[in-house]
Amino acid sequence: MTTVTIDGKVIEVPEGTTVLRAAQTAGISIPTLCDHKELSPYGGCRLCLVEVEGARTLQPSCTLPVSNNMVVRTDTEKVREARKFVLTLIFSERNHFCMYCQVSGGDCELQNAAYREEMTHWPLQPNWQPYAVDASHPYFVLDNNRCILCRRCVRACSELVGNHTLGFEERGARSFLVADLGLPLGESTCISCGTCLQVCPTGALIDRQSAYRGKETQVEDHMTICAGCSVGCGMNVLTRDNRMVRLEGDWEAPVNGGLLCEIGRFEQQNDARERILTPLVRKDGSLKAATWDEALNVISSRMRPLAGIENSGIAALASTRLPVEALSAFKQIFADKMRSDMVTSIEEGIYTAASSTLANEYGHPFEGKLSDLATADLVVLFDADMTRLHEVASFFVKRNLQAGTNLVVVGREAGELDRWGIPVKATRGSDADVLAAIAAARAGAALESYETQIGVPAGKLALVGELLRDAKNAVIVYGKGMDKTTLQTLVEFAAANSAKVLGLKGAANSFTGALLGLEKPFNVNGHQAVYLALGDDEPSQRLAQKVANAPFLAVQASYASQLTAQADVVLPVQMWAEQEGHYINLDGHIQAAKQSLTPADDVRSNAAALEALAASLGVDVSPDWREQICQRVPSAALEG
Amino acid sequence: MKAYRSMVLVTNDPGSMLAGAQDVYNALQQEIKSFGLEDEISLSTVSDVGRHDAVPMVIVYPEAVIYGPVTSKDVPFLVEEHLYKGRIATALQAPARELSGRIAWLRNRKGSLPAEQRIVLERAGLIDPDSIDDYLMHDGYIALGKALTEMTPADVIAEIEKSGLRGRGGAGFPSGSKWKFVAKTQSSKKYVICNADESEPGTFKDRLILEGDPFSIIEAMTIAGYVVGADEGIIYVRGEYTLAQDRLKSAIQQARTYGLLGDKLFGTDFSFNISVHAGAGAYICGEETALIESIEGKRGEPRARPPYPTTHGLWGKPTLVNNVETLANVPAILRNGASWFRKFGTPSSPGTKVYTIMGNVNVTGLIEVPMGITLREVVNIYAQGMKPGSTFKLAQTGGSSGSIIPATLQDTPMDFDSFGKTGVSLGSGALLICDEETCVVDLAKVLLNFFRKESCGKCNPCRIGNQRAFEILTNISEGTGQLKDLDDLNMLAENLFQLSNCGLGQTAGTPLRDTLKYFRAEVEAHIRLKVCPAGVCPMSGKKY
Repeated sequence: MTTVTIDGKVIEVPEGTTVLRAAQTAGISIPTLCDHKELSPYGGCRLCLVEVEGARTLQPSCTLPVSNNMVVRTDTEKVREARKFVLTLIFSERNHFCMYCQVSGGDCELQNAAYREEMTHWPLQPNWQPYAVDASHPYFVLDNNRCILCRRCVRACSELVGNHTLGFEERGARSFLVADLGLPLGESTCISCGTCLQVCPTGALIDRQSAYRGKETQVEDHMTICAGCSVGCGMNVLTRDNRMVRLEGDWEAPVNGGLLCEIGRFEQQNDARERILTPLVRKDGSLKAATWDEALNVISSRMRPLAGIENSGIAALASTRLPVEALSAFKQIFADKMRSDMVTSIEEGIYTAASSTLANEYGHPFEGKLSDLATADLVVLFDADMTRLHEVASFFVKRNLQAGTNLVVVGREAGELDRWGIPVKATRGSDADVLAAIAAARAGAALESYETQIGVPAGKLALVGELLRDAKNAVIVYGKGMDKTTLQTLVEFAAANSAKVLGLKGAANSFTGALLGLEKPFNVNGHQAVYLALGDDEPSQRLAQKVANAPFLAVQASYASQLTAQADVVLPVQMWAEQEGHYINLDGHIQAAKQSLTPADDVRSNAAALEALAASLGVDVSPDWREQICQRVPSAALEG
Repeated sequence: MKAYRSMVLVTNDPGSMLAGAQDVYNALQQEIKSFGLEDEISLSTVSDVGRHDAVPMVIVYPEAVIYGPVTSKDVPFLVEEHLYKGRIATALQAPARELSGRIAWLRNRKGSLPAEQRIVLERAGLIDPDSIDDYLMHDGYIALGKALTEMTPADVIAEIEKSGLRGRGGAGFPSGSKWKFVAKTQSSKKYVICNADESEPGTFKDRLILEGDPFSIIEAMTIAGYVVGADEGIIYVRGEYTLAQDRLKSAIQQARTYGLLGDKLFGTDFSFNISVHAGAGAYICGEETALIESIEGKRGEPRARPPYPTTHGLWGKPTLVNNVETLANVPAILRNGASWFRKFGTPSSPGTKVYTIMGNVNVTGLIEVPMGITLREVVNIYAQGMKPGSTFKLAQTGGSSGSIIPATLQDTPMDFDSFGKTGVSLGSGALLICDEETCVVDLAKVLLNFFRKESCGKCNPCRIGNQRAFEILTNISEGTGQLKDLDDLNMLAENLFQLSNCGLGQTAGTPLRDTLKYFRAEVEAHIRLKVCPAGVCPMSGKKY
């Protein structure tokens, strides 16, 4: 511990703490612009300068580590003058005429800093160089005229996301923010994760969707969990008048630490599908609006007689986007009470069947945690495509590559992550063959036969083997469609190399589906009735075809789709932002999603819809979902 | 080693090469052979000897006669007269004025006058810089051998500390202390970096050292590596110094071949390797932390300090960064002892300093003189006075980050402490001598124009402040300045010093401060009278 005196307050902080953080813990506020708690200290804006006894010049508190018995003053005349000077320079550099800016009036850190210093004007003659506004990106706009060159976005892009798209061109007074080597953002290597938007202190990076739609004081925050995939990112849903304004990563979230991907931040905000707002029952060949009681009666009268009938009873299918509460009720109704033999999830276990079987054989979890990626010196992606779904997990890998982490991308198809690491693309052979080749490479065996077997050059295999031998904290990530035997070989290979194993899984509650045993391949084959708990999921063409000839189809869904058009009964349910519930992410974090939007009157939560169905069927379901998920051994340890 | 009757050197600095030095060299080779003298006369190249008015030059020892400019047509006559018949070919001699001036040290090496004292440039111009044999003949590698076989790292540090050597990059930090800091930081990997990114306008002392005596840097870095516990050295050379890069690469190769670089040097367990890293034209990369960032492949932006490179340098490892001139002193100190070194210069700033003289003086070029001589001495003795008809007005030191020395401070000894007391800085050793034809507003404008372009753009004060100051100076030079501008300039200068992240920003305000301190009346004339007293500024703006 180091003792430091700041404005007369004696503070004890751990060694290496910066003066700024020390001051913050003591409740002393120092204005900053380039500082961001999730980014490495930069020391560029110089707004946080303080007086340090014995120092020749003012010192930036954001980069200066405390030393013992340091005496710091943050509020002297000299410091205040320096702040005003720094702000004067910034205002004189570019067009910072606040009245035209969408963040003006509370959301702009530059403006707020100026108010704080009671500035009314800036005394230096400005000489702005005009910059063209870059509106080539689908989700946001870059206006260099509003930029204060603090590099938060640049650091976020490299340090947090590892994408290195943003950077600076030119030197000195001519420096300006560019994507890649000066490409328009929309044509650059930007992956639209929007982290830069979230850290920009001014109106230089503007979200197209939310610009001018509400300042921070006019919107409501809702801390919740993204239902986009099994990573389970914490996020803030900002709403105004019960409409979604913007989605932001939750910096405090344990899994993602503030990051979101394109799906999480932008795509799920722009859902153009038609909502279903009332129960519908098919009468005379067409769907007609009905009451919940009517609709439930139609379903229960049709299904009650089918209880316990094998092969020609009820087939039930749930989306893994539903909260645990709903999936637990679903499983109890159809598997336990109605004793149906076809109760499964939309994923049909392709992501999880092998891992849950293996976990139950072992009797204990065998998968590591996402946080293992942070300390990994080698990451092997085994048929694990992180580029579309699970993209935030890919950030955890990419951002460490610069520090020396190695990445090996094993797969069959070319992927976006290939260029970040060493692609090992088998053109022949099975997963087991590829794995055998890698194991042989690790063991230093002759690799020529494997080259012919899987079509990967022996030299490349040898390199992978060398990396595996050198790695102290390797993590092997596997994707979907792996059979149990191959997975077991993989897990045992990993254990022999003291490597961690991570399974990506599928949708937000993929893991819950596995824990509830909803992993069967789905088909209707002779079943008399089909119940589809679709929620806000987008059904596939394949699924629509499978249920096309079902004698009776009931669907609970948020949005109209081909499936609801085929259905005999449709129950309107809430979409992800409207309902509360729990999600279990890929590494076992049990996290609670909160309600962000108030749903329409007749629209019930997925869990409530299923509970109403249970009541209508006359069966009891336990609300204790924790008990339900404990019946199988999880592939990754559960927490929370 | 073979003994020769005469040694013939042909200059091959860039200027000489452009003027046909290669042809002269080839012709000499052929002519010497045709006289059958190749066993008696050694022929080699030599780097820049500090004058460019008579290139290419041919220097013949032991007489130390300088011929120039020489063309290949002159060669048969020269060889026949001087080398065969033994008569000085006076018709081809370089102008005598030069002989009595700067180059006189070549003839008077053993004499006491003039007072040029060469330590770091001792061999430059005397040896073939591409030949390790030449270097070895001239006391090369004695210091390394002594350090490795007779001294502990602590002994070497003690000797350097005792010598009082201070960094010649501009800041004047005691070198021994820096070495000690790196040596005592525990780490399995350390680096020694030679900062040869000499980019201060008007400064070319490091280039002369690198081109004229590259082995001295290689030797000094190896000693430094031994002392601080590093096994890897990197020379960060300014990108434009292609000849220096070639020389260094060749020197590294030769040292390796001779076992003076590589594994287990002098039979000890100490191993050391050096690589050359070329810069890419950014002034800021001469700042040591920006230089480190640049080597790491990042945008050249200075880091925040602390932590200092001595503990967190290249790739986060303890790193010793020394300027070329600083390093070049090290072998001489170890060879001759600290007390020998202290015989030169002043007690607080021992040793010599290399200055590059430019401006309206009779002799421009490069000199190495003891610390503590005055500007007046430099101008009158080494520069042979101001050009006829011009009067000394001011000198600007140390390239752009140096300060302005008015005539009133001409007699201040030029060493770190005396200069520090009067508020001027020695900087990198450039001396731009200006006469009354120079306008201080214009001079400040030129300097600020340089800074606003060469600032890395990281911190606000430097990036924006220099731009604003340049604009204000431009207004003044166009006759549209206001008296308030002078307060703004003073404020900018003070704030640049107080608030900037690195040395560039901190010293960028110096020309502003000095101009207003010493020449305020002249600046005010631009504003009040709309007149540029020196008649330089355009004063083209609207007069109101």
